[in-house]
Amino acid sequence: MSDNSKGLLLAGVGGQGVILASMIIADALMRAGFDVKQSEVHGMAQRGGSVVSHIRWGKEVASPLVEKGSAEVLAAFEWAEAIRWVDYVRNEGAVVTDIKTIVPPGACNDTHAWSTAYPRFEIDLFRSRLIETRFVDATANAVQLGNVRAANSVILGSVAAFVGIDLIHWEEAIASLVPKGTEEINLAAFHAGMNAPMAQIPAPPAEPAEYLGPHLIDIQQDWCKSCDICPRVCPEHCLKLDTDGTLLVINADACTGCRLCEMLCPDFAITIRPPAAAEHHEPAISGRKM
Amino acid sequence: MTDVKIDIQPDMTTEVTATERADVRSYLRQWAMPHVLCPGCAHGIVLRSFLEAVDQLQLDQDKIAMVAGIGCSSRLAGYVDFCTLHGTHGRAPAFATGLKLARPDLNVVVVTGDGDGLAIGGNHLIHAARRNIDMTVLLLNNSIYGMTGGQAAPTTPEGAIASTAPQGHIEPGFDACKLLMGAGASYVARVFAANPIEMTKVMMDGLSHPGFAFIELVSDCPEYFGRYNKIGGGPEMLNWIAVRDEGIAGPLSEKRFVEHIPVKPPAIGVKSGVLQREIRPVYAGVRAAEGQHT
Ligand code: SF4
Ligand code: SF4
Ligand code: SF4
Repeated sequence: MSDNSKGLLLAGVGGQGVILASMIIADALMRAGFDVKQSEVHGMAQRGGSVVSHIRWGKEVASPLVEKGSAEVLAAFEWAEAIRWVDYVRNEGAVVTDIKTIVPPGACNDTHAWSTAYPRFEIDLFRSRLIETRFVDATANAVQLGNVRAANSVILGSVAAFVGIDLIHWEEAIASLVPKGTEEINLAAFHAGMNAPMAQIPAPPAEPAEYLGPHLIDIQQDWCKSCDICPRVCPEHCLKLDTDGTLLVINADACTGCRLCEMLCPDFAITIRPPAAAEHHEPAISGRKM
Repeated sequence: MTDVKIDIQPDMTTEVTATERADVRSYLRQWAMPHVLCPGCAHGIVLRSFLEAVDQLQLDQDKIAMVAGIGCSSRLAGYVDFCTLHGTHGRAPAFATGLKLARPDLNVVVVTGDGDGLAIGGNHLIHAARRNIDMTVLLLNNSIYGMTGGQAAPTTPEGAIASTAPQGHIEPGFDACKLLMGAGASYVARVFAANPIEMTKVMMDGLSHPGFAFIELVSDCPEYFGRYNKIGGGPEMLNWIAVRDEGIAGPLSEKRFVEHIPVKPPAIGVKSGVLQREIRPVYAGVRAAEGQHT
């Protein structure tokens, strides 16, 4: 960065409070006498999409955008976001990340077994670039203090070490920006974050871990009324009504098991079975005898 | 409705099913299926979500009493393998009141429609709400009288075509949730048939509520409402109700249909979610405390 400014990136998922956190950081930096520019991208925020906020500070900052490979620190509110944005961190920089995992609905191969492409926690992941990785269990810290919503302040506390401004600026910024009545708990959370020990990385989920193949789309043809709802809702275009109204599976391999078709079929004519169950699937429904 | 409180926020990142899901078809009377509802009628989607809620809560099939009146929605009671009672038009809440007082151990569920529950039986509904009888009322609102041939119902929106309103309905429609809130229902919620996960969650919530729980399920009638108003069949109607959802799931349902379906006539938005929740003495419960019943 030509203007000798420094950069910081905050990344999280819609609804996590990334924007407020970045406002607090920007405010704290301004209180410390820096010129600060901040910019955020949150197009899909409401649907749980990625939200990222850029902050740059220095004597005089021209643009708010942090260049790839130049951020001092990346503050991630969720593990996948840490991996998604780590390219922006400079070599020997730092990543502070919550050990929370939020699996995006679209990333599941299999919504039943959670066999997703969700990345595993790995402490050594960024080692080749000498990036310091700091895992924080912000949620646990905040719950301990009595309010889970203070989790973001815990992360801010852990980030503070890499920003290098006086504590008082942080405290003032937090007190002035968090919702009224929550100043105390957020300050406590901030301090907890400063002193938080490195969190234990959660163990990867047990079986089944790998993708077992597409789900089985079980159609009960004699209940189907050819209403055309399921072909229209399937995000993967797996289904199609034939000209005579028979429901056809045209793309069985693409089925992700999202169950939209099953849940929106008014006639109970579709049942989606996970691949493991599909092997020994019993077509008969075990209804009670009348 | 100034004090609308929406405290159910469907979690978009997880699935509703925490435990192993059963095949909900096992809760159906197999010999009665397929059901009589028209192709694409969202009432079937509502029934499915209800069965998922029953399954999630692990309710005993023999301890659920489903009480219905007359109408397409009331037909649903005929297909579930619970204790069921098919009463007279609009009187389901009255039958249910008697049933609950005689058998407080039963989980009483009333399934009714907008015509059945708000016109013919409006009186019974509001008084069951006022007394806070411990039951769950599922009111499937399709904005029309479906079974009898598409006549205008109290919920038909102004301007919509019905067989008794060929030039467009000239009366304003009914807001069932406001009515029930006014009548003192201790739990009032509205959900859209296009959002099955949210539906299941709200139904689980309503079924667990101690007292009178009223859930308006915005459903549809492709056969009459859809045809008369030139909206289309099942998928188009489902989309039409989905875009009316001004609740939490609203922005999600907009994108649900892969192909773009134009929305006409303009759909009027309504709030979804839990609109009222309070805990107050349950009628049968008061009597039990006084030792007045067996
Ligand atoms: S579960 Fe149904 S809607 Fe989802 S991808 Fe498979 S076929 Fe399509
Ligand atoms: S939604 Fe159900 S009834 Fe309609 S076409 Fe699909 S399987 Fe058949
Ligand atoms: S008449 Fe309308 S409400 Fe009744 S089953 Fe047919 S589509 Fe559904």
